[in-house]
Amino acid sequence: MAAVVYEWRRLWSVRATWVMSVVYLGVTALLGGGPLYLGDPGMRVQTWKGLYSTNGNVLCLVMLSVVASQFFGHEYRYGLIRLTLSEFPARERVLVAKTSVLAAYVTIMTFVGWSVLGMIGALAPEGRISTSGVGLNLSGGQPSDMWQVLVFGFAYCVLAMSITMITRNLALGVVLPLLTATLIEGLVQGFSSLSNGKLDWLVNALPFVNGNAWLGKAPDSPNAGLIFAAWIVGAYLIATLSFFKRDA
Amino acid sequence: MRIEVLGLDKHFKNVHAVQDLSFTVEPGRVTGFLGPNGSGKSTTMRLMLGLDNGSGQTLFDGKKLTAHSPVTRTVGAHLDAKFFHPKRTAYSHLRMLGAEAGISKARVNEVLQLVGLESVAKKRPGGFSLGMGQRLGLAGAILAEPQVLMLDEPANGLDPQSIQWLRDFLKFYASTGKSVLVSSHLLSEMQLLADDVVVIARGKLIAAESMSKFLGRSSGSAVVVRAGEATRLGQLLHNMGIESTANGLNTLTITNQTTDRIGEVAYANGIKLSELSSQTASLETVFLELTDSGQEYRLGGEAK
Repeated sequence: MAAVVYEWRRLWSVRATWVMSVVYLGVTALLGGGPLYLGDPGMRVQTWKGLYSTNGNVLCLVMLSVVASQFFGHEYRYGLIRLTLSEFPARERVLVAKTSVLAAYVTIMTFVGWSVLGMIGALAPEGRISTSGVGLNLSGGQPSDMWQVLVFGFAYCVLAMSITMITRNLALGVVLPLLTATLIEGLVQGFSSLSNGKLDWLVNALPFVNGNAWLGKAPDSPNAGLIFAAWIVGAYLIATLSFFKRDA
Repeated sequence: MRIEVLGLDKHFKNVHAVQDLSFTVEPGRVTGFLGPNGSGKSTTMRLMLGLDNGSGQTLFDGKKLTAHSPVTRTVGAHLDAKFFHPKRTAYSHLRMLGAEAGISKARVNEVLQLVGLESVAKKRPGGFSLGMGQRLGLAGAILAEPQVLMLDEPANGLDPQSIQWLRDFLKFYASTGKSVLVSSHLLSEMQLLADDVVVIARGKLIAAESMSKFLGRSSGSAVVVRAGEATRLGQLLHNMGIESTANGLNTLTITNQTTDRIGEVAYANGIKLSELSSQTASLETVFLELTDSGQEYRLGGEAK
């Protein structure tokens, strides 16, 4: 428990956490509220589920991934890992505490984000929230269950933290998942379409293609959740191994 | 708390940084950890704390560090003056470090006052000087009043008053029965501070003994005698197999002997002494004699 208290204090005692949390809520509000007020009038109708899925979008999650990367990024950048491990020499305690606090942070921020989106929905003009809504859905897939938004967000942050642990570079922990989700996978899909399906196997193995398919419970991708989970768990295991094997 | 370092060994690719290093740190004493630049002092400290992976082990009162709880009441370590987040206030930094031992806010304030940082407690340490960073690091190490203090070059960047304060503090800390291991290359300072020394060069142990015994290793350590009958005393000593060197008309210099022994000889033979003193080599002299060949990085382009 002491390691969790340590991490909790570490998390909230730097300004960057507060700044990124506020920016996350601001971006969530903009992306959630925007489609209700802007654009083609025919598109200004949103479902509650579509609205609440807003903070599962990578553009929102990138803010949380900055904080997730800080869990180890600041430790390595400022040499604090040596203080941390002097206090908690059992590295498994440190890893469990960091992962637990990250889970708590993502959960809290997701629920606060949903509260903000709920207020936006409640304040929206009559008729803009409807079961027949077609409003802009910024997630790759419309989530079938809201808990998936939370799990997807946590998985994204675990990936960011894992990359930071492996590379010992905070910026790479933020940039690599973002680039993969928004650019690299799109390029791979583009090349695949030009190759007459020869690269379909590669597209079908991409993390965020599968993550989004899992979010939307795509019927043609029954194993999407497993493939997405394999990417996240794999990255986390490599990161854990490097954390245990390398010098602090 | 007694620290036993047993066979620590560490390789960095082609460099054998620490080689089968074993020594003990006794409670109630300040142990100086000395060695030239790159000799492996910091690596050894990190190995002792389990921060680096290597072979060998370090026992604290017969147990591994992980077997102690809370660890911060066992060992307080200060390894670098810049180990803090530049945007986290000094107060928040210590509050965070106090989590494991359940340190109160009052104790955090007390320690900040002790190291003279109470006026900047709510300031971000990014703009701290090296000396202020050292104080913050020391504050973190002593926060939970640990049984063992391990400090790596804590006097770097401190002004003379602060160095004197640090010396007095560490001596007092050890006098309460706790163990203090402190590395430094400020040898004159270490001579005033340490009761015992551990000296390494190129990762190998050169000496691990009391300061007085270490200083006695030097060829420069001698007994100086001034007497009206210096010539007769010299002859008497010669007859006993003790060689002396005449140093002026009435003065003898005798190596490898104690003042007690020479005094006894003079008294037994009725020789009146004007002076009987021990001429001790400085720590710097002995250190340089013993570690000269073990210097990893040498000035003047004579790198070995």
